Amino acid sequence: MRKLRLIIKREYLTRVKTKGFIIGTILVPLLGVAFCLLIIFLVRHRPSQTMRLVVVDNSGTLAQPITHNLDGKLENGQPEFTIVETIVHPASPDAVQQDLRSRINSEKIDAYLWIPADATQSFELHMRNPDNFALIGPLSGAVDQAVISARLSDRGVHLDDVKEILRGTDLKLLKVSEAGESVEKGQSIGIAIALVILLYTALLMYGIITMRSVLEEKTTRTMEVLISAVTPFELLCGKILGVAAAAFTQFAIWMISTALLFTYGALAAAGMGAGSALSGVHIPISLVLYAGIFFFGGYFLYSAMFAAIGAACSNEQDAQQLQWIAMAPLVFCMVIYSVVLNDPSSTTSVVLSEIPFFSPVLMALRISLLTPPAWQIVLALVLLFLTTIGSIYASAKIYRVGILMYGKRPSLVEMFRWLRYS
Amino acid sequence: MDAITLENVTKSYDAVTAVSGVNLRVRQGAILGLLGPNGAGKTTTIRMIMNILVPDEGSIKVLDQPVSDSTRDLIGYLPEERGLYPRMKVLDIIVFLAALHGLTEEEAGRRAKEWLERLGLADWSGKKLLDLSKGMQQKVQFITAVIHKPPLVILDEPFSGLDPVNAATVEEIMLEMRSKGSTIVLSTHRMEQVERMCDSICLIDKGRNVLDGEIRAIKQSYGKNTLHIEFTGNDNFLSSPAIINLTRLGNGVEAKLKPGADPQEILKAAVQANVSITRFELLEPSLNEIFIDRTTRA
Repeated sequence: MRKLRLIIKREYLTRVKTKGFIIGTILVPLLGVAFCLLIIFLVRHRPSQTMRLVVVDNSGTLAQPITHNLDGKLENGQPEFTIVETIVHPASPDAVQQDLRSRINSEKIDAYLWIPADATQSFELHMRNPDNFALIGPLSGAVDQAVISARLSDRGVHLDDVKEILRGTDLKLLKVSEAGESVEKGQSIGIAIALVILLYTALLMYGIITMRSVLEEKTTRTMEVLISAVTPFELLCGKILGVAAAAFTQFAIWMISTALLFTYGALAAAGMGAGSALSGVHIPISLVLYAGIFFFGGYFLYSAMFAAIGAACSNEQDAQQLQWIAMAPLVFCMVIYSVVLNDPSSTTSVVLSEIPFFSPVLMALRISLLTPPAWQIVLALVLLFLTTIGSIYASAKIYRVGILMYGKRPSLVEMFRWLRYS
Repeated sequence: MDAITLENVTKSYDAVTAVSGVNLRVRQGAILGLLGPNGAGKTTTIRMIMNILVPDEGSIKVLDQPVSDSTRDLIGYLPEERGLYPRMKVLDIIVFLAALHGLTEEEAGRRAKEWLERLGLADWSGKKLLDLSKGMQQKVQFITAVIHKPPLVILDEPFSGLDPVNAATVEEIMLEMRSKGSTIVLSTHRMEQVERMCDSICLIDKGRNVLDGEIRAIKQSYGKNTLHIEFTGNDNFLSSPAIINLTRLGNGVEAKLKPGADPQEILKAAVQANVSITRFELLEPSLNEIFIDRTTRA
């Protein structure tokens, strides 16, 4: 155990002290924050200047309701629009337009709105910067609302009545379990999908690092010195655990920063009146706990497989060509996902979710969909644990025999033969 | 008690028999020269003693215990294949390996500093290994083999890459360890070093030990059959049928005589040919000669 601790410590410190690790750990959350801030900035960006507007009304009725609707406020509290002047039924339209254009050019006003005599014709907004979408949006909305409202009242209908009639319904999903009912907003599948994504990302990043770490002694020719001090089993366990510790450190930092970000983000969103979509979603603690256990189990099983590939090869090129072997079951998991999703309690689903290579995802999915019998969960965990230890043990054997093999990549048949060597 | 006992040890890889029926006893407190041509099976033998490989047949004991994972801590090992983590700092890697061999990290750190001082590497202790020259890396690796004061040390080509000054320091350290009771197995191709330092040798050829025992006894068994002649003048007198093997040295020759041949006949021939002789000595064969003799025999 003492030797194992030393190997874990060295492995962890060498990983954590690299520039790549430090930069990655800090940069990813910073990029995340920057990205979120950018989105918030873009979404919340408002023009800071009031638009000075002249309204020319050829209809005689629309100017009032339109200007009434232009009641938005800028971020600094100023109104979005000031109506400099309202000209109703201009005597000589051309002269008026001529005059307004020169006022825009001399920057006395920013724009003028031309209301046609008949609302079926085009409304015109004349301005210097026709790309000022932030203000065109509210203006267009105000015009629409005024016109629609006018058309409706011509037919004796009130706008608010129409809104009331057109309001959609809300279909509420309720999940029934022994624990009672809980509001279902897709969080069950969400958890399982999150688990697959998390497992996949973690393994893509750290499975390969584990594999490289096992190769390290071979590529640097440190192996013989090390193997004279520790057993291959201790070495491989130490490497898997050391890399895992580094991985979890990085993930923990990312998750804490994400959580902080979300908390602040939610507060900011609440200020904007959003964020209600997630309220009322209830994720049971037990589900999170199971998801965590299966995530760790899955992570260790798959890293043990990456370690085995590292143990079998003598250089990185060969190992990279073999790494699909470790990833294949996880990909297969995503393919057979829907089988379990459609009928989580069928025999097929039960059997699939007990197989160690699939259980981290499929058993977690079943747990999130319904509550499987306790023995099934326990059996899956025991099998997962035993398979993990078994693969590390097999890797250690392959490693020991592989010491003598240089240059040549072993075939799968040879690797199985090595398992029988003493 | 013997430091190492090999009994009828055999190891094959697929079709090749690397070591075949090797028997060997190494007395405690001795320096053994493990000799043999390239590919003879020396490294395989060492790896079996280290329990990195397991013999197909036979038994191996280290300090009277059958080899196991725990006997490895009794051995300091400098493998033929050199290499340490290149991105680790010199002091860190020595402490790491010493701790794996059972020292506490404080003790390991203290001893590492002493060793680095002694081998002239004190200024380099904070540098990464890849910043060091080959020779310096070799010295670091040597330190990792001896820092835990193992009762048995196995050194595979410890002098390769070392300049004469450093080689002398390493030699001095080895003799000092022997005087403190450590047993050393030295695998090398440098015969003069073996002759100078080793008490006994084991010569392995094609997986078998063809010769082993104390150097003095081996040489005596060969008898004084080698002439060392230093001279100036025509060397025609050396084409005598009494000489069966001739090694030319810088200032003379080493001539192996036919069994029963009379060295006086050669001297007479030289005098008659008017050669000026500065040295004429009848000696036991050098280890170099014994090595060549034993490994080229059909």
